[in-house]
Amino acid sequence: MRSLPPNVIKEVNQFMTFKLKKKERNSIINPIFTCQPAGAQYASIGIDECIGIVHGGQGCVMFVRLLFAQHFKDNFLLASSSLHEDSAVMGGMHRVEQAVDVLLMRYPEVKVVPIISTCSTEIIGDDIDGVARKLNNGLLKEKYAEREVHLIPIHTPSFKGSMIYGYDTAVKDFITYFAELREPNGKINLITGWVNPGDVTALKHLLKEMDVDATVIFEIETFDSPLMPDGEAVSHGSTTIEDLKSTANAMGTIALNRYEGGQAARYLEKKFEVPAVIGPTPIGIRNTDTFLENVRRMTGKPIPQSLVRERGIAIDALTDLVHMFFADKKVAIYGNPDLVIGLAEFCLDLEMKPVLLMIGDENLEYLKDQRIKDLQEKVEDIDIIQNADFWVLENKIKNEEIELDLIMGHSKGRFISIDYDIPMLRVGFPVYDRAGYYRHPVMGYSGATWLAEEMANVLFTDMEYKKNKEWILNVW
Amino acid sequence: MEDIKEYRMEQLVDHIMKWSLWQFNSRAWDRENQNEGILTKTAQILCNEPVLLETPADKYYWAEAMVLARDFKINFPWLSEMEKHEIKQLIKSLKERIDYLTITGSLNEELTAQRY
Amino acid sequence: MPHHLFKCSECIPERKKHAVIKGEGEDLTSCLPLGYLNTIPGTISERGCAFCGAKHVIGTPMKDVIHLCHGPVGCTYDTWQTKRYLSDNDNFQFKYTFATDMKEKDIVFGAEKLLRQSIMEAFEAFPEIKRMSIYQTCASALIGDDINAVVKDIMAEMPEVDIFVCNSPGFAGPSQSGGHHVINIAWVNQKVGTYEPEIKSDYVINYVGEYNIQGDQEVMLDYFQRMGIQVLSTFTGNGSYDDLRGMHRAHLNVLECARSAEYICNELRVRYGTPRMDIDGFGFKPLSESLLKVGYFFGLEEKAQKVIDEEVARWKPELDWYARRLKGVKVCLWPGGSKLWHWANVIHEEMGVEVVSVYTKFGHQGDMEKGIARCGEGALAIDDPNELEGIEAIKKLKPDVIFTGVRPGEVAKKMRVQYLNAHAYHNGPYKGFEGWVRFARDIYNAVYSPIHQLSGLDISKDEISADKGFMTRQMISDVKIDTEEAALSEERPYTGDYDCVTKLRGKEYPLLEKSPSAN
Repeated sequence: MRSLPPNVIKEVNQFMTFKLKKKERNSIINPIFTCQPAGAQYASIGIDECIGIVHGGQGCVMFVRLLFAQHFKDNFLLASSSLHEDSAVMGGMHRVEQAVDVLLMRYPEVKVVPIISTCSTEIIGDDIDGVARKLNNGLLKEKYAEREVHLIPIHTPSFKGSMIYGYDTAVKDFITYFAELREPNGKINLITGWVNPGDVTALKHLLKEMDVDATVIFEIETFDSPLMPDGEAVSHGSTTIEDLKSTANAMGTIALNRYEGGQAARYLEKKFEVPAVIGPTPIGIRNTDTFLENVRRMTGKPIPQSLVRERGIAIDALTDLVHMFFADKKVAIYGNPDLVIGLAEFCLDLEMKPVLLMIGDENLEYLKDQRIKDLQEKVEDIDIIQNADFWVLENKIKNEEIELDLIMGHSKGRFISIDYDIPMLRVGFPVYDRAGYYRHPVMGYSGATWLAEEMANVLFTDMEYKKNKEWILNVW
Repeated sequence: MEDIKEYRMEQLVDHIMKWSLWQFNSRAWDRENQNEGILTKTAQILCNEPVLLETPADKYYWAEAMVLARDFKINFPWLSEMEKHEIKQLIKSLKERIDYLTITGSLNEELTAQRY
Repeated sequence: MPHHLFKCSECIPERKKHAVIKGEGEDLTSCLPLGYLNTIPGTISERGCAFCGAKHVIGTPMKDVIHLCHGPVGCTYDTWQTKRYLSDNDNFQFKYTFATDMKEKDIVFGAEKLLRQSIMEAFEAFPEIKRMSIYQTCASALIGDDINAVVKDIMAEMPEVDIFVCNSPGFAGPSQSGGHHVINIAWVNQKVGTYEPEIKSDYVINYVGEYNIQGDQEVMLDYFQRMGIQVLSTFTGNGSYDDLRGMHRAHLNVLECARSAEYICNELRVRYGTPRMDIDGFGFKPLSESLLKVGYFFGLEEKAQKVIDEEVARWKPELDWYARRLKGVKVCLWPGGSKLWHWANVIHEEMGVEVVSVYTKFGHQGDMEKGIARCGEGALAIDDPNELEGIEAIKKLKPDVIFTGVRPGEVAKKMRVQYLNAHAYHNGPYKGFEGWVRFARDIYNAVYSPIHQLSGLDISKDEISADKGFMTRQMISDVKIDTEEAALSEERPYTGDYDCVTKLRGKEYPLLEKSPSAN
């Protein structure tokens, strides 16, 4: 979260005459987001031959690995510096040194080792940049001279920002570390943000159809890994060091999620003059069109007939649903900011009524976000709340301040759906109470189709369960 | 003769190790009390002798001993052919062995920790 | 000394003392790994933190309490909806979690004011709940917030509320176990004896070290109540805050998970003379003997035997059906701290499986003593295992199924080894007589899964038998049994319901009564 200098704040306030609501309480009841280190860890696992060391208590990494396992039904490798009582009091730098040594000894293929700080180690003032320097000049030169090892300190204390900002910071730190000026590579950089493997598949497909070569940050299709007869498969990311280095030499960067990768895109533009296009999140027809248009402008490649057809298939599917089932349906959406905005925009195109949008953290940047401003000003009866938690939603439902036909968000909100009998489409992160959702996109035309059809199916199941005009589906 | 005695004692040891938990409290002094309390009462029960049941601790040891004695009788029928003094001798050497395995010979470094 | 050094740990030779192989003739005087030492950084150990041990394992199962973490949001988020400790009040503690949400300014200026506001907000949001537990985290510990002082003031201002403070930040110990200790001692120091419970029977116990995973506690509660015993409190599964303040009034502390809760039992024994009785709620024989022991203590052994006889008659034929087919199946018992010894012997005796390895993520040497005493010869026992050692052990031992947590279970899955969730179970509960059959059924369904069979076929080079449309589990399992003998027996597969716990709620217990003259 950047703190803006006073003259900029004044400027911002002049532009923005809108305010963004915050939840009124100081404390949290049922959080929508977790803290920064989780975001940095999610970025780390997208890189090949990378194992991050989380410098803090063991829980900071153990719980996050569990969270990933809940979402993906698979295991990802991350290590801990195992901060115990003595190191909490006296400083834990030697724990990091030992962790790096032990990790490198036992995992000979590892090349990238982010050192991710946590609240405890930031509070006690452990200098992870200093320890990286020390190791680079010492241990790595002495013991690992033959090996390529990259130590990347990433500062992600939990008392600032949230998992979103942690992810954004990590992406920026990886790019800052690796991006290296060489010959132009004729590719574009696609910084996806916090997405699922299904999204990466959909995005790569779109780019392939346009005959555009891209460096995808991060290549996470391989998170969906098979169970092979020889028992040797593992889930891991596939972005290489070469990929990260080459980002400096692209013809442009498209960062799909402003709050999850925007910083990195701006860095590449500033340092290497790689033009950056930030957003919009390609959820729904309109934003996917915009994305393709941005790709066309950046690369000069035309949008092919095949994508016209694909778009048509999506439009065909949506047309059967919209005025029949979606019109005027009231929706509450929560989760990652770009996701929430993208879904809200799509819902509006689908004739639905987003009435409540909840973002789990607070960020001054939201006040500069034209998308949020437009939603707040042009949509009737919409409530957009930052720093929100689930109690905000639950209260509104309990006090009958809000009527909802559908909730869209991640699985931690499931009890509201279950206890108040409101149908919910799981979307975002983490989704652990439905099978296989990470395999499906929410981006692109295929994502638009999937989202709309799943929304419809969720509504249909609810109609049948409540016997609410369920006979209407006989002749649809 | 000695071999049979030792073999039988080992059978009882093995049974305790596989099915009981009372011998594994976390301090050496606690294990001493448990082993003493429970095995003494086990011997008394097997010999049909009266058992002291004054304190709650006594009742607890007795409850453990009742179940243990019952198990011994079911699984080791040769006990029923033994004389009282033989049973007492057997349980005495059993206790010595259990004390050794769980206290004096144990590699558990927490047994001697000062605080609980 | 039969120490075992993994190939992947040769570069960290201190690991050698953390694993042993129980050889022939080995006993505990020659065969015990080190335990509960600091974790070696960077090993990708299975361990979690002390905050988890205090809040997630022991604190949060208390059902009528607002559980508030004083710290940034992550600790709260992580311990919310990540475990299956049920309660019979519609899972209040499951669904609602609270955090003070410390931010940078709180770190700099202190967060006691924020804590006070958060406590008030929480009570205001849930006016019918008057009890709260506050958990310190790494952040609030390091900035030195005096949670106890804030709570003292609030309790004076609001006499109808009662608040418990648990100071167990994540770094307070090598693993979860540090947190168990802290919260045990904190509870007995702060809360036990501050409330006089209602005594409903002449026979009163506390059920300690039981967390109602998938209904375990409710199953056992049913047995005790059928015997006429009042379970005054459960520490802490399906447990009530005020009941637990009355723990001093029990005649006996019945202890399941000694790893997490022996501390409070030991203290209650010292302070109130209440004996501690360690039991096993798993397995027909251990469970029967446990109920009998408790029965003997109270003179209720006949009632205990009646319960045992009823249950065994109902469920033994089903257990035997699975046991016949599970004989020789190789398993790794890889739980957190106590199930390695709860299960090591009885699972072999009653289901016929071979335990080829036991491990403990956060246990002490005492847990290993129990585990190694109970497991068979040749078993590999590992303390504080890490990812690579686990993989090496699986490749070496080639088990058929592993009982472990969700995430290491996924590692096993990829290696074509089936897994069952040892922490939160698959289709539990696993305690009780019916529960043990459910466990056997889960093992059977995992081992003889047709999909599992298919996973080993490499269609690019192995022979594909194109004449089969399907296989059933029984077709796979019954090739190795004496089908005639099986057919003649009374054995049958599981006939219980998907949910065997909800129907226990609201049951009546005629034996549960207090005699007028007893005190």
